[in-house]
Amino acid sequence: MLDILENVINSVTLTPKDFLDIRYAYAMGESLTVRNGRFDSISNQTTGGVAIRALIDNAWGFTTIVNTDKESILKAANKAIKMAKAGSKYTKQERTIGDKWVYEGSGATKLEIDPRDIDKETKFEKIVKTEQTAREYSDTIAEASATYQESHSKEFVVNNRGTKVSNKTHTIRLMKNVVGREGTKMQNVFDSIGGVGGWELIENWNPEEEGLKSAVLVEKLLLAREPPSGKMNVIMDPSLTGVFIHEAFGHACEADGIIAKNSILEGKIDQRVGVEGINVYDDPTIPQLRGTFEYDSEGTKARKRVLVEDGILKEYFHTLETATTLGMEPNGSGRAMNFNVTPQARMGNSYVDDGDMKLEEIAEMAKDGVYLKDSYGGYVVPAKGQFYFTCQLGYYIENGEITDMMGNVGMSGMTLEVLQNTFAIGEKWDAAFQGTCGKGGQWVPVTGGGPNLGVSDLVVGGTKQ
Amino acid sequence: MTSKEDLHELAEYIVKHGLSLGADQVEAYTLYGSAKSVQVERGSIRKFTDVSNSGLGIRIIKDKSIGMASTTIFTTESIENCVKNAYSLAKVSPPDPNFDSLPFDDKPSPEIPGRHDQAIIDLDVEEFTELILQSIQEAQIHENAVIGGNFTTGHGVRYIVNSLGIDRTSSQTSVSGYLGVKIAEGEDIGNAYYYDAATALSNFKHLKIGNVAGERAKKMLGSKKIETASLPVLLDPDSTYGTVEPILSNGINALSVFNRTAFFVDKIGDSIASEKLNITDDPFYPGGTDSSPFDDEGVVPKKLNLIENGMLQTYITDSYTAPLVGLENTGHASRGSFASRPRPAPYTLSIKPGTTSKDSLLSDMKEGVLMIASPLHSSGNNPQISAQINQGFLVKNGEILHPIKNAVIGCTVFDVYQKIDDLSKETENRSGHEAPWMLLEELQVSGGK
Repeated sequence: MLDILENVINSVTLTPKDFLDIRYAYAMGESLTVRNGRFDSISNQTTGGVAIRALIDNAWGFTTIVNTDKESILKAANKAIKMAKAGSKYTKQERTIGDKWVYEGSGATKLEIDPRDIDKETKFEKIVKTEQTAREYSDTIAEASATYQESHSKEFVVNNRGTKVSNKTHTIRLMKNVVGREGTKMQNVFDSIGGVGGWELIENWNPEEEGLKSAVLVEKLLLAREPPSGKMNVIMDPSLTGVFIHEAFGHACEADGIIAKNSILEGKIDQRVGVEGINVYDDPTIPQLRGTFEYDSEGTKARKRVLVEDGILKEYFHTLETATTLGMEPNGSGRAMNFNVTPQARMGNSYVDDGDMKLEEIAEMAKDGVYLKDSYGGYVVPAKGQFYFTCQLGYYIENGEITDMMGNVGMSGMTLEVLQNTFAIGEKWDAAFQGTCGKGGQWVPVTGGGPNLGVSDLVVGGTKQ
Repeated sequence: MTSKEDLHELAEYIVKHGLSLGADQVEAYTLYGSAKSVQVERGSIRKFTDVSNSGLGIRIIKDKSIGMASTTIFTTESIENCVKNAYSLAKVSPPDPNFDSLPFDDKPSPEIPGRHDQAIIDLDVEEFTELILQSIQEAQIHENAVIGGNFTTGHGVRYIVNSLGIDRTSSQTSVSGYLGVKIAEGEDIGNAYYYDAATALSNFKHLKIGNVAGERAKKMLGSKKIETASLPVLLDPDSTYGTVEPILSNGINALSVFNRTAFFVDKIGDSIASEKLNITDDPFYPGGTDSSPFDDEGVVPKKLNLIENGMLQTYITDSYTAPLVGLENTGHASRGSFASRPRPAPYTLSIKPGTTSKDSLLSDMKEGVLMIASPLHSSGNNPQISAQINQGFLVKNGEILHPIKNAVIGCTVFDVYQKIDDLSKETENRSGHEAPWMLLEELQVSGGK
């Protein structure tokens, strides 16, 4: 396939300033869900096609086809070129892609146990027993569900600068969701494991233990205290720290947003954005996490990104275009969800690095506030730097002690305030937030993490007056 | 094999092929879709896109076990594999005793006016771009305005064929667009967006997109943090619809009702909201972006009264869930994509207006919050709402004081429905989605001050 794509590149007429890339992406996935004792969805999905992108005279043209013969791809390439040329008279900005970044190579996920070699009954067992244990725990469990997913994808990228890259990725995931209900009071607990790799990543999932753990927690949450409201000190667990750094900070570091003048962090490289001692990284090369990859969807070799070093902003997430425009180096952040969309500057595995404080010490510093756990997700408006995220549960902190459990709640904060308001960094980071990030209609797997983190003046949106 | 005509033939072939493998029932859902988009960045054009969204989904039933498969690849080999995969999964999957049958419905499907507009299909990219440039011009209301967004035209043809005799075809066009505007005056940032969508080009309000996005961004300048307090909340029609619809969508869908996770389990005939709340669902609203002559299983729905004077009238069902809750199939099967299993979901809701003017709702407010395009969303199935105020204003003595920065409203979905204090007589109708301004009694507002 790489040769066909390269052959097409060599067959079109381009000037040295023009840019054209062709990407073939194919993915096959399987998803099995059991809900309340019934097989809710058992499905197999295949997507595949060729994406052609041309940047000519400052405008992009993009088209896709599902045929993979040379003649069809060549025709589509000429269509993309024609579209870019048509767009150029309407654009006011200069856009190019530098010619010094050329990548060649092939990446492949390390697969110790190929899930395609595992029989369906074994896969069913993982989810059926998880769901059954949770559901049968008590009458207050309204719904229990468990889902198994695997995906096998390949992506080939060539461009007229000389890049020629192939990448094979395998992902696997087990999820559980348990909903408890007492009248109109409801709580749910969601959790998942998995990442980039094979069956080895979920092999040790003990269905009975996992089902029981969620059911017990749901029961406790139904009896938990009402969450408070107002501005207060918050300690986040590693999962919350992960989603917090992803939403509050990571999105604002995406260079396409910087160029679109849509980020509060525009022009802030080498400026202080956080307290001394805080370090924030994103590293897609850490093995086996959800946001792990070797080459991005533009063929750029991925590497660790240093976003914040000792409180100073150091780096953005770059595509080839944003790196050229801002005069910086690409760092392999151009990710595309599938063949039908263009790569965007995206995160991979983002985390706050370790500090040295124990949870009890942080609680003592907080004195009063809340200790929040287990993310539900969130969102951010990078243009004004206002973010929002939610947790599944938490605990009150009273007089420096972690006390009563509370139910789920959402929080709001301002990007430029929160890293400055960090008052304590815990001692051990964990990649605890296994998420899926949405941007511009594209969903890609990501991981977020960190240690326990103490932040002052977050707005907690509970119902308690 | 990706032309519109071929995809009907393909659906018929899939059903025959599935049966020949030994399936008890087969359903094929094929979709021809094309979309042309124009991306706007910093007030000018960045990218032209022309992509296909075609694909097919297959459901196969064998001994009450269900297997599904989907693909976007239309080669003979891929399609054969897709049918085979669905059949294999049905064979190994444990049976679902609750599964009754795929549907059969021979009612004629109605013609919905304004669902297909040749002008959208014929619109060339240069003409479309001219409309977009006009929209951008409208948004340029401040010298510092930074404008970005995306505009799309689309055409889709959907075929549903099943082995019981369902054979339906429908075609729909669409045009949609949004602009986000950011205005910075030093550290002070005003930010807002606006969108519109229509099935006919003549109904697409492209100038309004730019105008409203720009005006709203300007109004968001000067935002301030507020104190935590318990305050009444006035929602504009977009916020009203965006709040009321998801609650109802979860609350009355028969699958969630059967699973006991719906907000309104066992509530048919009971009061679930203020008596001021009346909601209908019209699948055939002319020109509605969510209107459809049949559901995603091929069943013809009908217009339903969902809530009358605060009383719940019915649940919405599809072929799987109707027997589970003891109701008839209301034809509300909806798929997220050709790859998904259908679930019940509403079409086009209309929330009946009240009698008070929207100006009075605002001017009579002693102290409260005005929300613009900021719905009160809950997280997942939870009835707890903890929603950020994205575009909100502090109101005192009927006057808008300033935009609100960094605040969250905490309540429950039940609070929202029960605390409807009043509804305006004016409504906004967005392609059939109709809602008034809605005043809610005091809710807990967490401020950052």
